[in-house]
Amino acid sequence: MNLKPTIGIETHIELNTNTKMFCRCKVVDTDEPNISLCPTCIGLPGALPVPNGKAIEYITLLSLATGCTITRKGMFHRKNYFYPDLPKNYQISQFDLPVGESGELEIILDGKKESVEIERVHMEEDTGKSTHSGTGRIDSATSTALDFNRSGVPLVEIVTKPVIQSAKEAVAYIEELRQLSIDLNISEGKLEKGNLRFDANISVAPSDSNELGTKVEIKNMNSLKSLERAIDFEISRQTKAFLDGEEIIQETRHWDEAKELTSSMRSKEGSADYRYFSDPDLPNMILSEMFIEDIKNNLPKLPSEKRNDLMNTGLDLQQANILGKSDTWIIELYFKVFDSTKEYSTTYNWITGELQGQMRKLDMNFPPEWFSAEVLSEIIGLIKENKISFTSGKTILSEVLQKNISVDEIASNHDLYQENNEEKIVELVKNVINDSEDVVRRIKEGEDKLVGFLVGQVIKNSGGSVNPGIAKELLTKELDL
Amino acid sequence: MELKNLSIRQLNNLFVDKKAKPSELYSDIFDASASSESLLHAHLSLFEEKNLENAKKSDKRFEKGESTGLLDGIPIAIKDNINIKGELTTCSSKMLSNYRSPYNATVIEKLNNENALYTGKTNLDEFAMGSSTENSAFGLTKNPWNTEYVPGGSSGGSAASVSARSSIGALGSDTGGSIRQPAAFCGLVGFKPTYGTVSRYGLIAFASSLDQIGPITKNVDDARIIYNAISGHDALDATSIDNNQTNIPFDKSAKIGVIKELMEDGISDDSRNEVSKVLENLKKQGYQIKEVSLPLIKLSISIYYLIAPAECSANLARFDGVRYGLRVEGKTSYEMMQNTRAEGFGDEVKRRILLGTYALSAGYYDEYYGKALRARKKMIDEFSNIFNDVDYLISPTTPTAAFKAGEKTSNPLEMYMSDLCTIPANLAGLPAISIPTGLSKEKLPLGVQIMSKPLTDLSLLNFSEIIEKEVDFNTSPEGLEK
Repeated sequence: MNLKPTIGIETHIELNTNTKMFCRCKVVDTDEPNISLCPTCIGLPGALPVPNGKAIEYITLLSLATGCTITRKGMFHRKNYFYPDLPKNYQISQFDLPVGESGELEIILDGKKESVEIERVHMEEDTGKSTHSGTGRIDSATSTALDFNRSGVPLVEIVTKPVIQSAKEAVAYIEELRQLSIDLNISEGKLEKGNLRFDANISVAPSDSNELGTKVEIKNMNSLKSLERAIDFEISRQTKAFLDGEEIIQETRHWDEAKELTSSMRSKEGSADYRYFSDPDLPNMILSEMFIEDIKNNLPKLPSEKRNDLMNTGLDLQQANILGKSDTWIIELYFKVFDSTKEYSTTYNWITGELQGQMRKLDMNFPPEWFSAEVLSEIIGLIKENKISFTSGKTILSEVLQKNISVDEIASNHDLYQENNEEKIVELVKNVINDSEDVVRRIKEGEDKLVGFLVGQVIKNSGGSVNPGIAKELLTKELDL
Repeated sequence: MELKNLSIRQLNNLFVDKKAKPSELYSDIFDASASSESLLHAHLSLFEEKNLENAKKSDKRFEKGESTGLLDGIPIAIKDNINIKGELTTCSSKMLSNYRSPYNATVIEKLNNENALYTGKTNLDEFAMGSSTENSAFGLTKNPWNTEYVPGGSSGGSAASVSARSSIGALGSDTGGSIRQPAAFCGLVGFKPTYGTVSRYGLIAFASSLDQIGPITKNVDDARIIYNAISGHDALDATSIDNNQTNIPFDKSAKIGVIKELMEDGISDDSRNEVSKVLENLKKQGYQIKEVSLPLIKLSISIYYLIAPAECSANLARFDGVRYGLRVEGKTSYEMMQNTRAEGFGDEVKRRILLGTYALSAGYYDEYYGKALRARKKMIDEFSNIFNDVDYLISPTTPTAAFKAGEKTSNPLEMYMSDLCTIPANLAGLPAISIPTGLSKEKLPLGVQIMSKPLTDLSLLNFSEIIEKEVDFNTSPEGLEK
């Protein structure tokens, strides 16, 4: 029997607002615990929540960017559960009236455009951070340290419909969502910092079935790698169970990074009844037509639009996808260099390969201010016109990144301009032939490969200024081959 | 006449004219509490010395003619569910018996700006849940008119304090009648303002959509002065509104409605008679009076006891022993939380948390909490319609006068019924006031309640003052004289 997996992903994105969701405490990025707190975010008696307008704007932005319908009359709900790092023992969240509903996100999977349907986009507040001593789990810890710096930081939760079919597709979806949040400037998008956190709901069912199997929720996947492995593991676990006729239990499972397997979490929240009800401290939130229009009109370029622009220059989807995820200055540099050279592929290779490679070597985040699109265009132009070799181009780039000096000066100083005068090259060729009687004889006897050796000699004797193509052409002619 | 018996305006005139000093008033007040506290237990804590200093600063301001207004140097008692920075705020609960607030409630900030003084924190039913102040973890408060009787609740300590002249006025909180009912039981004025006009920031929440802070005073003018000081929009409370008052007539062109459903079964003859007396008086003055019917009022206790417990079940979840207050250790964090809550909360609080948790549970939400929300909405509509017809609604404040301590403690349902007349104003967010009008057969005070539409608080106070003048009730408790 053929089985198909179905996956839905819930992602929490930490927004990069200055202040928290329901109080005016600064959002801080520090290991020093409990330094950004107030009565509201640590749940002191009598303190009240007041919503952060910027966070509502960001969530509306993300909803619009994923093509969601905006719920004009939104509402905050209380999600009730007890946990020591949840100060009020309820989390302010959204339930039946999320900010955005029914959208989609274009992703790139195996070099093709695919679309992932989004069920909802809603906002909630983050919890504090618990550090359990000993086993790392709350029920067996000897003590627990609590840091409330994160408590009340605004989160947006994006839930996909159960439409994802593989671990690779899940990874592509998270990559796209991450890029989108960076491009919208609503999050740092750093997975290693927990700016994006994701859970997966996975089920398997016979390929010809219209119904979904029993879903299992997987938690604790901290990187794209663990997302991919956890999903693959869980699909095989469920497939095996299904084929062996075992019942698949609806439950939450914990991904164990070290053991590379999922195991059942018998935690108390697992089967919780959250008793959602509308938060009486927060009156209904009405998003005005003007507020929504304003955000719509100021939407930055989305990743899918950037990809289309790049493809319009001639790049293929894969190249456009890679370049599209780069920093803005890199994409701008590409368009400028392309405009003057009209060489999309060469420009792409120089930027994603040579430029970024050399900058990495030089430990540079940004090129120096004297470096411009003109510099790179000039280098590419000189190579195209055979005035310098590719290798010389690399040398020039490296030097110009370190010194404020013109391309021409570097080329002249190092004598990098290639010799294009045929008479001079013919003379060099003749000299080499005269000096290499033995090699010439072997070539005549059929050892064609040795022509390359002679080309090398010509270039060497010229001090590297001869174009290898021309040298080979003239050598062939002189040797009468 | 002794200073402690005077109104805020009379006291301010004496201070301005340099015929008396705030510090003299303060001593007067403390002499009163010294003799009455052991008998009544109105206060949980008294701020004597700290405030004597502040009283002396008031003296100086009046000497120099630099006083800051009517409340400068006026001693006010604060219900112990309102945070004052650095002071204990216990909510009369074992859970918070050691809890000191690191911040001021907005109402306290506002009173500080007026240079008001505080006598201390007053007793209440634990977390404001109750109608007799018997549900206090620190002992009950007695009625100054007769110490065998309860002062009402949950702001019973505040009412007893003002009645016994241990303070000039008091702040209470009113979720289902917790200001008006004790004011009526103690022969005082109790005013619950329009929901949202007084900030709830720093008031320890019982039921957020119903809670409202307001004054308990000897007369309507004192209530007005305190209300003016504490009201106004607060950026720290998202349910706070701009206090844009609408003026409605309060002279004899005003139309009065008497609520049929609150003059029927369950209301004592004594309570009904007080309303009749007031209505006759108004009729004599030329006011138009008609009987109106609000059928859904009969459901208000049912609606209230689903909505208030549901909200409280979440509001009180934060008391878990993790960050502040009582902690009873356990083997795991969860066990610690369970032990803390089992030991920290009293029976009535637990009863309401359970009730609310149940009403919100999966499968029961629609049948209970959801239905209550829909009924509340309908009741609000019913009130809106009535206010197209009449300006003020009159009813008794309570079905009976004060009951004896211990009389209703074993029967919670009977206790809940004592809020029959006051709950509707909370459900609809209306301003409502209780003014004392007379005594029962047992010589215990009775009050009449007046309600008007939202944001007509000042007109309501003006109208109440006309009734107050006609009935001329003596607010001095006879019980303490004996």
